[in-house]
Amino acid sequence: MPNVGGWRFVVLGVVIAVMLVLPLVVKSSFAVDILIRVLLFSFIGSAWNLMGGYAKQLSLGHAAFFGLGAYTSTLLQIDFGISPWIGMVAGGFVALLASLPIGWLCFRLRGPYFTIATIATAQVLMLIFLKFRDFAWGAEGTTIPNLGHAPLMMQFETKAPYYYIVLGLLTIALLITARIERSRIGYYCVAIGEDEDAAEAIGVDAPSVKRQIYMISAFLTALAGTFYTQYIYFIDPQTAFNFNISIEAALVSIVGGVGTLWGPVIGTVLLETTSALLQSWLGNSIGGVQLTVYAVILMAVILWRPTGIMGYLAEVYARRRSKSLSLPAKA
Amino acid sequence: MADALVIKNLNKRFGGLHAVQDVSFTVRENETLALIGPNGAGKTTAFNLITGFYRPDTGSVSAFGREIVGLRPHDVCAFGLARTFQVAKPFGGMTVLANVMTGAFLRDRRPDAAREKAREAIDFVGLSARENAAARDLTSIDQRRLEMARALATQPRLLLLDEVMAGLNPAEIDQAVALVGKLSSRGLTIVIVEHLMRAIMAVAKHIIVLDHGQKIAEGSPKDVVENPEVIRAYLGSGYVHAPAGGTS
Repeated sequence: MPNVGGWRFVVLGVVIAVMLVLPLVVKSSFAVDILIRVLLFSFIGSAWNLMGGYAKQLSLGHAAFFGLGAYTSTLLQIDFGISPWIGMVAGGFVALLASLPIGWLCFRLRGPYFTIATIATAQVLMLIFLKFRDFAWGAEGTTIPNLGHAPLMMQFETKAPYYYIVLGLLTIALLITARIERSRIGYYCVAIGEDEDAAEAIGVDAPSVKRQIYMISAFLTALAGTFYTQYIYFIDPQTAFNFNISIEAALVSIVGGVGTLWGPVIGTVLLETTSALLQSWLGNSIGGVQLTVYAVILMAVILWRPTGIMGYLAEVYARRRSKSLSLPAKA
Repeated sequence: MADALVIKNLNKRFGGLHAVQDVSFTVRENETLALIGPNGAGKTTAFNLITGFYRPDTGSVSAFGREIVGLRPHDVCAFGLARTFQVAKPFGGMTVLANVMTGAFLRDRRPDAAREKAREAIDFVGLSARENAAARDLTSIDQRRLEMARALATQPRLLLLDEVMAGLNPAEIDQAVALVGKLSSRGLTIVIVEHLMRAIMAVAKHIIVLDHGQKIAEGSPKDVVENPEVIRAYLGSGYVHAPAGGTS
């Protein structure tokens, strides 16, 4: 066992070193852009995974928090000149507070009904931001004033700093997840995801636990919203509350393995890489063929590996272990 | 001995079905009480009413001197009443240890302390060898053991066991009976729902018989098996009107 633990630290050390050096080595800004997207969706996926994976509350409305984060920091920046660094945290808290009424409404429902309700909340928020023009630029959206190199305003002239920011965010999300996994709330989430009645019967206050994990998940997702807006220098309701964000958050976790620490990261790496490669190989042939192939791969994973890549690896590991354990008995 | 659970005039209707009608009984501290009766008699409904999963239409449930009607299930558990389910509900994807730790977290939020308490409970039910197995891979009796360990880990004063012996083979039933006896000798008050008269005779000194939601008899095992009403409604029906007994 200490051997396995030791190896784990070595592997982790190598991964961290590679991640830190990567933008210094990779010069193509197209490649760095892909890396940023991978890290960003790993981060959003990790935030989603806390609630959707551990507690199995399948939300398809996390765009609501992404959008609230994006709008909070942008409004604070443009209307009051407040740095997005502060706006990012403020956006997190706005999302955290918003998760309370949203949760209050949606958690009355279970299963697919819950999922549909979460979709609706994100759509309603999008409509609100579309219709109330005086409040936040309506459908046209707005560009973020470009200040050139302004680290205090989260603006940079190269992509590398953005890379480090989102790498930092992902690290925070993974540390939080690892901590939750080992603590009472983590056990409670998994228990609720497995069987809510059984969890209640052994003293788990399911509504309260769901509320707490939803708050954490919403907070983190909002940070991604601010980051993304700063990164693309633009915001409008269609981008900020885009349904694809909700889908992608769920998808990367499901493919990678829900309720596992590294699932969302592995899922994102797999899906984003596949999609980028397919785009460059097939993008110039028949229109849309890369999306079709992507969809087929997706279906294959969900059909044959419903526990995700991490689930599959865990199975293989368990099988190997039980084999090696049973050998001495046979000898 | 003080009263652990006092149930007074409990009523519950589901539409036209009067599932529990004016049921009253008292469980004394440290005793093992069995709730028996044909299928559909209202035994599990009574459990759900006591543990907060259903709210009674009228009536009162007081545990250790406090009214608990209106409390939610997790509050009832925190108050010291733990239950198992008729159909075992293990957290399938979790290991045995993690299942029981989840119960232990109720009294101590530190993982190390919870793990220690969980191991004690697992050891008590005799499941230590399977500690790291996924709960869904357990056999039927081991899942029942797990449910008991998980409930025990919440450190209850009163344990409600809902048909923990259903579907077990004779040898396993003997083990389960021994386990219930062990729990009782530890000072726990136990309310057990069970169909097997042999098992009930072995564990309970005090029996309540329900039929169609009503209490039709109460007393020692000997009184109950000799009660003509009980023989008609429950014990005899198994032999004389077997099919009817199963559908009532």
